[in-house]
Amino acid sequence: MTRLGNVFWLVLVLAAGFTTFKVKYAVQDIEDQLNRTRRQTVAEQQETRVLTAEWTYLNQPERLAELNRRFLGLTAITAKQLQRSIEEIPLRAPAAPTGAPPAAPPDALVEASPGPAAPQAAATPLPVTSAALNPVPAIARTTRQADAISPPDELSAGEDARPPGSATPVRLAKAGPIPAANSLDALIAQIAEAR
Amino acid sequence: MGSLQRLDENPCRPRHFRPPPCAPVVDDERATAVLETCRTRLVAAAALFTVVFLVVALRLVEIVVLSGGSAESHVGRIRAVALSTAPVRADIVDRNDKLLATTLDSPSLYADPRQIIDADEATRAITSVLPELDPGEIHAKLISGKSFVWIKRRLTPRQEYDVNRLGIPGLQFEHQERRIYPFGDLAAHVVGFCGIDNNGLAGIERALDGAVKGNAGPIQLSLDARVQFILHEELTKVIGDFNAKGAAGIIMDVRTGEIIGMLSLPDFDPNHPGATDPALSPAEAKERTFNKVTLGDYEMGSVFKLFTAAMALDSGVASMTKQYDASHDIHIGRFTIEDYHGKHRWLSVPEIIMYSSNIGAARMAVDAGAERQRSYLARFGLLKPAAIELDEVAKPHFPAPWREINVMTIAYGHGISVTPLQVITAVSAIVNGGVLHRATLLKLPPGANPPGEQVIAPKTSDQMRKLMRLVVEYGTAKLGAAPGYVVGGKTGTAEKNSGGHYDEKKLLSSFIGAFPMQDPRYAILTLVDEPHGTKQSHGYATAGWTVVPATSRIIERIAPILGVPPVDEASPAITRALMIESLQGKRIETY
Repeated sequence: MTRLGNVFWLVLVLAAGFTTFKVKYAVQDIEDQLNRTRRQTVAEQQETRVLTAEWTYLNQPERLAELNRRFLGLTAITAKQLQRSIEEIPLRAPAAPTGAPPAAPPDALVEASPGPAAPQAAATPLPVTSAALNPVPAIARTTRQADAISPPDELSAGEDARPPGSATPVRLAKAGPIPAANSLDALIAQIAEAR
Repeated sequence: MGSLQRLDENPCRPRHFRPPPCAPVVDDERATAVLETCRTRLVAAAALFTVVFLVVALRLVEIVVLSGGSAESHVGRIRAVALSTAPVRADIVDRNDKLLATTLDSPSLYADPRQIIDADEATRAITSVLPELDPGEIHAKLISGKSFVWIKRRLTPRQEYDVNRLGIPGLQFEHQERRIYPFGDLAAHVVGFCGIDNNGLAGIERALDGAVKGNAGPIQLSLDARVQFILHEELTKVIGDFNAKGAAGIIMDVRTGEIIGMLSLPDFDPNHPGATDPALSPAEAKERTFNKVTLGDYEMGSVFKLFTAAMALDSGVASMTKQYDASHDIHIGRFTIEDYHGKHRWLSVPEIIMYSSNIGAARMAVDAGAERQRSYLARFGLLKPAAIELDEVAKPHFPAPWREINVMTIAYGHGISVTPLQVITAVSAIVNGGVLHRATLLKLPPGANPPGEQVIAPKTSDQMRKLMRLVVEYGTAKLGAAPGYVVGGKTGTAEKNSGGHYDEKKLLSSFIGAFPMQDPRYAILTLVDEPHGTKQSHGYATAGWTVVPATSRIIERIAPILGVPPVDEASPAITRALMIESLQGKRIETY
């Protein structure tokens, strides 16, 4: 009886010891993992902080204004351009004749300020609106724009992009079917070159 | 003894076996006594252990079960602190969460030359990624045989990455926290700057040092970086155009007292507050850190006529139709009060404001009396330092015995000097229905209705709006009319007091305005220090030619950002709201 009891207790002690060690190592593993994750989180957070600071630095209003002046030429909204009610919007100008060369691509990045480089922009006063309301089917428009890539001034932003040092903004236009990434790349390349 | 005998008497006992003397051979009574003592001690010991184990068990139960998660979180907290990433100083952001100040880990590069294998190669590699270093110097350091030499302090993250990529053994980084202001000088005076020990030395960094250090989350200011930039750009232009010494501007939300923009020029880069420009003398460098808006004490000039008129109208001393004699200069003591744009006739209250008549304002103030003038100025908060979250705040200066001559000069803003911040806070109260809000640089939750003090009646506020609109429509600030935004305001051109007398050449031109006047949302104050007339301004350096056009441009640019819709200024609703009955049908002589 006593002997049986001893064996029982011995087994119990061994089992308890084994379990304890097992649990201990399992916990240690998990803790290591937790610490690794924590360290990684810390590193990522530091990285985020640096990137946020850099992003903010790159978005300095002065810098954005300068980039705008060189590449986009956007100007501030004037009171005249803001309307509160639908009645205040004047009737739109008659649509451009379909046979004429496209006034401006509907998805032109920017309407450059009227200058010698943009004679076509003068065809309609509001190229974006008129093009958006243009009844010509979308496919027809794409083909026309595919042709429209050939005029050199449409390409000015694409290949031989070299911003002039003067205040005249570069005319940037996405020409129809050319994917947007192209002109964005071009923009980035321009910025890189300008640096 | 009995037991032993019993064993001996056992007939089955082996012959060689003698039972051991298992019981002490003592007499019965003594043995029982000793055994009793032992037993008692054992019981006592067992009881003691039981109690101790019970205590331990109870404590375990308490920690694990009863206190729930708190014990666990306690443990977790200790560990979290050890791994904490929260920087010493919290970020400061603008009202749109744009980063104005942040803390970055800034590595400094050092080397252990004893570990450097090839000093020539290492020098070449280091100077290839850090070209600003002198190769000779680096080489000398690397062959010095010391165990520690600084290569370069405060690397950018990119430089750190580049150096790491070189993979040279013996190069190490020491990490320190460094305060970065990504927008540079944009809000330099508001945000302030820190010393190398990360203590705030100016601006919000100093005034809210405790909060900046204690906060884990960012501190959000009421500033709008875009508005701040527009202020910066336009006022820089004014300084350039008129060859001025400096300029300042503030934009305030009149309903809450939040400051949307605050600028003082010339300014500095808080990333390098000490060394702005080696060409500058220390005095000039110090001048740059001076915040004109809160620390500049100025005699604001005609802008004060608004306070005179508000006082006279609110106390009932004057009405919109009451006239004052402005036909002759006032001679009092050795002083002469004269008008810059003299009309030489009796002027009504609106005309006094519109033509900016010193004589009329002085007569109006005398009419109201010294006591009333003093109490109204105190109500507007002009006689005590402005309350704002900055330490750089100047005390206003005003005469100690408030004599009649003081009453007259203070009526048009001379003989009292206050900060631009006090002026805009008071004017905000004048146009917003008469409630004075404390100026604040911290963003309030949208729709917040901060407490304020009713300083003038809403009716007076209404009349003052009309007067301010009149100045822009027909008076000295016609160039300030940003069409569509119904601007109203008052110009002030003060001669600066230099060495006890007023210098005609040294002007302080300012404009305080608000828009849209039918229901004001924002007040704006612009000020230019010592402008010089140009051909464009026909030689004038007065407010109407310098800061007023700039203010118009600023309003045109910031109104769409601030969500103020343009209106048709000629529409009946607007004209009726801002009409002055007494002037109706009269031909208004434009200024």
